Amino acid sequence: MNANVYLPALARIAGIEEETRGARAIKTFRIEFPEGGGFDHECGQCAMLSLFGKGEVMISIASAPAVKEYKQFSIMKSGRVTTALHDLDVGDVIGIRGPYGNQFPLDQWKGRNLIFVGGGVGLAPIWPVIQTAVANADDFGSITVFYGARSSSDIMYKADFEELARKAIVQLSVDGAEDGWKGYTGFVPANLMDKAPSPDNAIAITCGPPIMIKFVIQNLQKLGFADEQIYTTIENKMKCGVGKCGRCNVGKDYVCVKGPVYSWAELKTLPQEY
Amino acid sequence: METILKKERLSEWVAQIGARATVFAPAFADGIWNFCAVAADTKVEFDHGNTVRPAKGFVFPQREVLYRFRQESGKAPELMETLPAAAPTVVFGVRPCDGRAMVRNDKVFTCGFNDPYYQARRDQVVFVGLACSEPPSQNCFCLSVGGSPHSEDGLDVLMTELDGRYHVKAITAKGREIVEGAAALLDKAQAADGKAAAKAHADADKHPQRALATMEKVAAGLKEHFDSPKWDELARACIGCGACTYLCPSCHCFDINDEITSNVPLTGERVRTWDNCQFPDFTMHSSGHNPRHDTGARLRQRVSHKLLYFVENHNIQQCTGCGRCISHCPVGIDIVRVATEVSGQ
Ligand code: SF4
Ligand code: SF4
Ligand code: FES
Repeated sequence: MNANVYLPALARIAGIEEETRGARAIKTFRIEFPEGGGFDHECGQCAMLSLFGKGEVMISIASAPAVKEYKQFSIMKSGRVTTALHDLDVGDVIGIRGPYGNQFPLDQWKGRNLIFVGGGVGLAPIWPVIQTAVANADDFGSITVFYGARSSSDIMYKADFEELARKAIVQLSVDGAEDGWKGYTGFVPANLMDKAPSPDNAIAITCGPPIMIKFVIQNLQKLGFADEQIYTTIENKMKCGVGKCGRCNVGKDYVCVKGPVYSWAELKTLPQEY
Repeated sequence: METILKKERLSEWVAQIGARATVFAPAFADGIWNFCAVAADTKVEFDHGNTVRPAKGFVFPQREVLYRFRQESGKAPELMETLPAAAPTVVFGVRPCDGRAMVRNDKVFTCGFNDPYYQARRDQVVFVGLACSEPPSQNCFCLSVGGSPHSEDGLDVLMTELDGRYHVKAITAKGREIVEGAAALLDKAQAADGKAAAKAHADADKHPQRALATMEKVAAGLKEHFDSPKWDELARACIGCGACTYLCPSCHCFDINDEITSNVPLTGERVRTWDNCQFPDFTMHSSGHNPRHDTGARLRQRVSHKLLYFVENHNIQQCTGCGRCISHCPVGIDIVRVATEVSGQ
């Protein structure tokens, strides 16, 4: 990467997948670097995407570290930059800098049962962990993926889920009743209670809307998960990505550097201001 | 290296340095004291209290172009890096609280990821400090935050006013360079001069200042009372103007925005500007969710950053007790009072 931390590298959009539609549509962008460019990343890390004339936005890297040819970002249309990104086409060139932040401690989870609990676009930050775990399934116990969306048409990575279901236990849910829906009907925390995974030798990783995370953590605790067995990620407004612009902090931690990944044991020692 | 400069030769020394570097010194302009560029024939005298604006602007300007961009329609963008071509700069009359703030700014900008814009300017600037013989403001509290009216931290040279002369001590290599370069003007200090300087420093320490409990006590108290209702009470009058942080010598928060100069082809600059934790949109997510959604939470952030979070991360307070945020707050919000009342110390 550049010696100048603020100067992005240029990279090409090689593919765009429309995941969901509507006012808050989600698209997945596949970004390719020119020969010899790019950077390696770890599960959970983020990158700053740049659209010149619009600004920058920090997005978690949704592709697995093992995938070197490209990086994938699933982006919900939300602010100025993400809206402009949604208007781009394959072949357009954007700026990218990173990787930023810490990582999920997959190495420490060898031999454990992994339980992922995602909601909405919150599947993206944990997707590289799921992919890496599944690709190294021998290193882990069982792998379970809970995922919920508002409706079946709001489910991300639909095609990938079919593939995933062959290698992991998949528990899908939609918020409201739908004809022909075979999964669970109701919110993600309720689906979690319904299936009641055992905390024995398990690690739970959750990401989604703040309100969902709150209830998922409460329910995991009810199921007997200890604080050290629960992991989540924090999202905050970011500008620099390198611990200097001062806005992404939760207490003493700049999330862009110390986060986004936290165990609940660590997170509860920080002020609840996020 | 300790030397003596006769007061009447100060302007000569400044002029000599001015031949090789841009020199700034405190001057009274537009009704306030500020660092102003010194022209060749200016008579320099130190009779300022403290400048309204801190010295941080020399290394972290209010507005800095990070790079320029250009994009023909249908083509890839081009980026043109604009690292500052910083020229040698010597700043006179820097108060010790601003010097100590520079140590804090160094921690922010050069630890972890190095900030090349800050670094380029920092490498080129020499800070010539001026010890305070008495607190320049009724809101000074440097002694309570580990500093002193004659602290050398972050300064390259420290000048102390004596009878008819200045005691001039070079602290860093950069400082020695400008002192050694003026051997004809600066005499070697004698033992008596050193004693006189030490006495001036000791006298300065005796002047009463505002007082805050120890670093450890304040930090522990702020941590314990994070949820105190006092934050809201004490912040109620805040109008969110941001004067407190813009004028703080160690506040470093910034924003990054694109400024477009032409639409076709697309040309413009990515610019960083000072930003402010007292503004609601500083932390507001694009969803509308705001982790620091009211003035109480924002005052808590400002005070806790200075006196708790920075201590947790670097084991020093970020506030250096200059008193500017107190003197210039239009509604009288006072960091000493707030920290004392909330922490119960
Ligand atoms: S917080 Fe206030 S008193 Fe402390 S250094 Fe900043 S402006 Fe000065
Ligand atoms: S100077 Fe005073 S009124 Fe203005 S933002 Fe700071 S605390 Fe609020
Ligand atoms: S994004 Fe600037 S400090 Fe984290």
